[in-house]
Amino acid sequence: MTQRTAITVGEPEVRPDKASHVHGVRQGNHKGLYKRQPGHESDDRSSSRRSTGINPGPKNPILPGMPNLSPA
Amino acid sequence: MATAQDSDAARSDLTDVAFDPITRIIGNLGIYTKIDFPARKVVECRSTSSIFRGYSVFMKGKDPRDAHFITSRICGICGDNHATCSVYAQNMAYGVKPPPLADWIINLGEAAEFMFDHTIFQDNLVFVDFCERMVKETNPGVLERAERTPAPRGDVHGYRTIADIMRAFNPFEGEVYKEALRMSRLTREMCCLMEGRHVHPSTLYPGGVGTVATPQVFTDYLVRLTRCLDFVKRGVALNDDVFDFFYEALPGYEEVGRRRTLLGCWGCFQDPEVVDYDYRNMNTWGNAMFVTPGIVVDNQLVTTDLVDINLGLRVLLGSSYYEDWTGEETYVDKDPLGNPVDQRHPWNQTTLPKPQKRDLDGGNYSWVMSPRWYDKRTGDHLALDTGGGPLARLWTTALAGKVRTPYVRSTGHSVVIDLPKTPATPEVRLEWKPPPFPNTIERDRARMYFVAYAAGMALYFVERALEEVRAGRTKVFQDFKVPKEAIGAGFHEAVRGVLSHHLVIRDRKIANYHPYPPTPWNASPRDHYGTPGPYEDAVQGMTLFEENGPENFKGIDIMRTVRSFDPCLPCGVHMYLGGGRTVRQSHSPTFGALA
Repeated sequence: MTQRTAITVGEPEVRPDKASHVHGVRQGNHKGLYKRQPGHESDDRSSSRRSTGINPGPKNPILPGMPNLSPA
Repeated sequence: MATAQDSDAARSDLTDVAFDPITRIIGNLGIYTKIDFPARKVVECRSTSSIFRGYSVFMKGKDPRDAHFITSRICGICGDNHATCSVYAQNMAYGVKPPPLADWIINLGEAAEFMFDHTIFQDNLVFVDFCERMVKETNPGVLERAERTPAPRGDVHGYRTIADIMRAFNPFEGEVYKEALRMSRLTREMCCLMEGRHVHPSTLYPGGVGTVATPQVFTDYLVRLTRCLDFVKRGVALNDDVFDFFYEALPGYEEVGRRRTLLGCWGCFQDPEVVDYDYRNMNTWGNAMFVTPGIVVDNQLVTTDLVDINLGLRVLLGSSYYEDWTGEETYVDKDPLGNPVDQRHPWNQTTLPKPQKRDLDGGNYSWVMSPRWYDKRTGDHLALDTGGGPLARLWTTALAGKVRTPYVRSTGHSVVIDLPKTPATPEVRLEWKPPPFPNTIERDRARMYFVAYAAGMALYFVERALEEVRAGRTKVFQDFKVPKEAIGAGFHEAVRGVLSHHLVIRDRKIANYHPYPPTPWNASPRDHYGTPGPYEDAVQGMTLFEENGPENFKGIDIMRTVRSFDPCLPCGVHMYLGGGRTVRQSHSPTFGALA
């Protein structure tokens, strides 16, 4: 019995070497993507914006010399 | 040697004894022996595998960034070793150096894996061969003596006699057996904290990791590690007591599983301060690894240079179900340093399966190929083994004298491991010294010492990772671009020994991919020079100590020897459905989904 689901799946019977990457789709490893990641700073540090987009400011350290240890 | 034994093997008074499949391991390993019962000797041994998997065939044409997720599935117990090794090979191919914290996280995950896998294999699988119930069946005299022999390290582990320890090894009911299972849960949790999942990591990628580095994740790891340390300290003492007792109770037992010292270790635990994953600097960063890569021949360290190791790799045929690929395409004729690369090197290998009937009398009998290391000093193709992993790792690290950390140090002739005070046990100093020659007992003994080694290293890695986090350097991923054409090689240690992944990228797709895990080395059949593989070599000529005769023979000494190599066939051969049937139906939820 064939079951129909609402999940979008790829075409069946594709060649095994069909590229998994589709041209035009952004790649997670793409060079230069790091600077577009919110909360990831250019000096390899990160701020609380990395953890949350909701009111992140007060969650940063109160003094500049303190390490920014944001929650996961 | 093989010729002399083969001529002996033609005698009619020999009994054929086959162990197929070998139990308590994964896969389809068969050991076929000819035994001379009156002389209590194994005259001939052949190791076969009846499973073909074809990773090197179906990896072709795939996106190289998927390689670590796919090759992780080679194994259901050390998959993360494959993922890590593939990540190393990809880092080299893409020319990307991950941030230091990412390398510390991978090291921590791998250290947990070594602790997990060695503990579960040793205490839940190997010790079944040394437990009270087994020894009662195979060597009642030895058990009777064990009842009378006090355990020299009883103050550390708490067992009064050797027989008490053996009872603790009894499967499903022995205390050590059950505690090892509890420990394996803790160590798996440690691995999951760092690599997202065990055994197929979800947060390891080329260019770094996806683990979010918070102080919490490292303290969670440390809490579990500290609890394991009590078990590790007792475990080493238990192992030493039992193995020393076997030497004492069965004089000559050191000859069981004896083999010429031909050990290979490809090194593990990268030092983020040195490693740049560039092939041209591979000797430098290889020597900075926290387990030194190297090859030990006749107790002498021949090389620690990963470039030498890489260029010496040769995959031979002789007794395997494959056609030769010498007439096939050469993918890499020179390495990035300009050195010539042989056609029999994994970079240039083309897998051409040729299914056929097994012929143990001078024909082909295994799906495993015969990887060898070409020794340019002598021109020999050496059948290196891994000693089950730990023996080779400790031996090369001990002789190289390069590892210097607060908890683990190499002295040039031994490895010293200092484990701090933990809730139930005081601080302990352990020293592992190379034995006079490798045999069954020494391969097993080294395993528990390496658990201590990995635990000591994990303590150091946590400290270094927390230093990074406390300094606020929380970056764990570096972007990269997949080049149109590139080559890469990853060198790592799977739990049971050497692991290499060789990758060739063309048109941003995998043109060639060859994983070489430890079992092809250990379980290899006779090559075209007639050189037997390590299992065959270690079992052939072995004296039997089992008290049973041919009618109720269990083959315990042979089983102990084969299991001392920590055999694992799924990685021995890289899906054959039989009868020439091919499955053509395929369906993929991702390929072309967005096209």
